[in-house]
Amino acid sequence: MKVKVGDVVVPGDIAEEISRVKSETKCVLGPGLRRFSENVIVCKSGIFRKKNPNTYWVDSHQRKYIPVRGESVVGVVVNKSGDIFKVDIGASELASLAYTSFEGATKKNRPDVKLGDVLYAKLKIASLDMEPELECVDSKGKQSGMGVVADDGFLFTCSINVVRKILSPKCPLLKTLGKEIPHEIAVGMNGKVWLKARSIKETIALANAILATEYITNEETNAMCCRIIEALQEVN
Amino acid sequence: MALQYKTIHPVKYLRDFLAHNVRPDGRGLLKFRPMALNVRSISSADGSALVKIGNTSVICGIKAELATPKAEEPDRGFIVPNVELSPLSSSKFRPGPPSEEAQVASQFVFDVILNSGCIDTKCLCIVPDKLAWVLYCDLVCLNYDGSVLDACILALMAALNTVSLPEVEYDHEKSTTTVKTERVPLKILSMPVSTTHAIFDDEVLLADPTCEEEDLASGTITVVVSEGKLCSVWKPGGSPLTESQMDGCVDRAKNRVSSVLDLINTALKSSS
Amino acid sequence: MAAMAEDQHVLRKMFCEFDVLSCPDGSAMKYRNRSCLRPNKLIIDKACVEAVYRPKVGQPRVADKTKEKMIGNTCSSAILSTLYPRTSVSIILQEMQNSGGLMACAINAAYLALIRSGIAMKFLVAAVTCGITKDDKVILDPDLNKVKDCHTELMFAFDSIDFNIVAVDSSGQYTEEQYQKALSLCKEASNEIFDFYRNLVKKYACCI
Repeated sequence: MKVKVGDVVVPGDIAEEISRVKSETKCVLGPGLRRFSENVIVCKSGIFRKKNPNTYWVDSHQRKYIPVRGESVVGVVVNKSGDIFKVDIGASELASLAYTSFEGATKKNRPDVKLGDVLYAKLKIASLDMEPELECVDSKGKQSGMGVVADDGFLFTCSINVVRKILSPKCPLLKTLGKEIPHEIAVGMNGKVWLKARSIKETIALANAILATEYITNEETNAMCCRIIEALQEVN
Repeated sequence: MALQYKTIHPVKYLRDFLAHNVRPDGRGLLKFRPMALNVRSISSADGSALVKIGNTSVICGIKAELATPKAEEPDRGFIVPNVELSPLSSSKFRPGPPSEEAQVASQFVFDVILNSGCIDTKCLCIVPDKLAWVLYCDLVCLNYDGSVLDACILALMAALNTVSLPEVEYDHEKSTTTVKTERVPLKILSMPVSTTHAIFDDEVLLADPTCEEEDLASGTITVVVSEGKLCSVWKPGGSPLTESQMDGCVDRAKNRVSSVLDLINTALKSSS
Repeated sequence: MAAMAEDQHVLRKMFCEFDVLSCPDGSAMKYRNRSCLRPNKLIIDKACVEAVYRPKVGQPRVADKTKEKMIGNTCSSAILSTLYPRTSVSIILQEMQNSGGLMACAINAAYLALIRSGIAMKFLVAAVTCGITKDDKVILDPDLNKVKDCHTELMFAFDSIDFNIVAVDSSGQYTEEQYQKALSLCKEASNEIFDFYRNLVKKYACCI
C-alpha cells in the first residue's frame, strides 16, 4: 500500500513521496524506513513523519533498547570483573564500564561502585556488532551529573516512547510536577527511570504519572498533573 | 581454486552456477537426482527398504509387535514412525536425544501416513479392545544430503509393501495368543510420493536439493501426492512464492509419481 | 439459505490486546472467537529467530516442535534479521484455547507481537485456515463444530506486499482444484486480517 506523511503505516508499505524526491537533493531516512531498489519501504509499524526539508522517519512503539552512541542511559551494575563493571541497560547485552571512566578516577583512586548500584551514564561505544561501552565523564573529564545515583529512590522501566515523550520540551509533565513536588530524577533513553522524591507516596505518585503519560496527550497530562498535586496535598 | 571459492563464498558460488542454469552437481535446476531402491534388506525385520536419492540414503526397518489398542479407539492398531538423523549421516547432528529436525521429520512422516490413508489402522486390529499390531517404522538416515523427507517417505512406502504379518489367534477364555506361521501381506491402500523443492535467492526453485543447497536456501516446500490427490503441501515459512511457482512445484510432484512408483514396483518384483 | 452460504465465507471475529505482559519487549493477546494465544518476545544474544510453543496442558510434544518450526520460519522470513546481529528473537506462544484454526491464529498472534515490539520487518504475514467439507464445499475459518464435517484443513499464510504464499500446511487429502479454490478464498480473506493489523496499529498509535 502506498502511504503519505502522517498516515498509520505497517511494514511493507511503500513511501512513494520519498521516491519522488529529486535525486540530487539530500534525503535522510530515519528509523523504520529502508530502501529496496527503487522504492523506500516501511519496515516498522507506527506513524509516518516528515521534517523539512527531507527527513523522514516512522514513529513506532518500542520497549527494547538498541544502544546509540552518545545517549544517556540508566543502568544497574550487575557484575564486577577486574577493571570492568558490567551494567544492565536493558539492551540485548550487558554494557561494560571501565573504572577509569569516572571523574578523577585513577589506578589508586578507584570509584566506589558496588553491585546493584544504579548508574546514570553515557554510551561511549554503541555498535550492533560490539558490546556497548559506558562512561561517566564528559569530554572535559568532568562528572556533569553522571555517576552512581543515591542509594534510595525508585528505579522502573517504561517503554522508550514514554521516555521520549517526557523529555520532549513540549511535555509539561516534569515541569508542572516539579514546581509542587521537589524530586530528583534520572531519565535514561533506554526506558529506565530513576526517581526520588521527599516521601514514598510522592515517589509512587510521580512514577505512576510518568507511566500514565504513554496513552494521553499533552493537554490531558496537564489536567492529570493538577489532579495528582491536589490529591497529594489532601493526603498531606 | 574452485574449492576455496566455494568455502569462502558459498552463496556466490552457487549463484554463479545457477546463472548458467546448472547446479554444482551438473543437474538442471528442475532435475531430480537418480534414485536407487533395495527392498527386504534387513532379514530380521518384518519389512525393510534401503533408498538412495543421490547421496542421501535412508534405511527403513519395520517391526511388528502385539499390543492392546487404546481405550478411545479399540478397533485400531498403531503405526509409529521414527526418523533418526544420526551423527554418522552428517556433521550437523550430535549424539543424544533426537534433534528438532528429526522430531519434525518424524511428525511429518506420521502426518503423511495419516493424511494419505495408505494404511487402514483398522486392519491392524486383531481383536477389538484386546489385541492389535503396532508397526514400529524406524527410518535411519545413513547419509544426509538433502531431501531427506522424500527419501523417508519412499523408504517407508517401499518397506510397508514388503511387510507381511503372521496370523494370530486369540483365546478369549484364557486370554492367550498363538502366533501362527502363515503370513498375510499388509494391505496398502495408497502410495504417497513426496517431492521437495528449495527456494534460492527468493525466486529460483531447485528440485530435489542437496544438503548444501538446502543450507543456502531461503526456504523449502514439500508436496506429497497420493493417488492423483494432494495429501500434503508443506511450506514452513521461508521466502514467499507466487501462485505459479507453487503450481509448478505441485505439477512436478505429480509428474514424478509414476517414475517413483515404477521404481518401487520393479524393486518389489525383483526381490520376490 | 443465502445467509448460511455467506456465513461460510466470513472469518470469525478477531480480538487483540497489546501489552498484556509487562516484562517482554512486545506482547499481544489475541482472541479469535475462542482460540486465543498469548505471545511475548525478548531478545537475547544470537542471530536467529526462534519460536517456543507451549500447549494448553502438559509439556510440549513432538507435534509442537513442528508448530514451532512453522511459526519460527514464517516469522524469520519477514524479519530483517541483518539489522540485528548477535541477537535472537524468541517468540513465545502460549495456547490458551483452541477452537479451530490454531496454527493460523498462532502465526497472526506472533506477527502482532512483532508489530508491537517494533522489530523491523520486510512485510507482514496473515494466515488463514479453511476446511473442505465432505460435500466438497470450501469453508473459511471453520470452528471446532465445523471442523468435524471437514475431511481436509488447509492453512495458508500470505505476505502483505504481493500476497504471495509464505507458508502452507495441510491435513487430509484434496484435489488440485480444491486446493486452488481454498487458496483463492484464503487470499481474499487475508485482506481482512491485514486491515485488522492496520486498525490495531491505528488504535494504539495515539500514544506514539
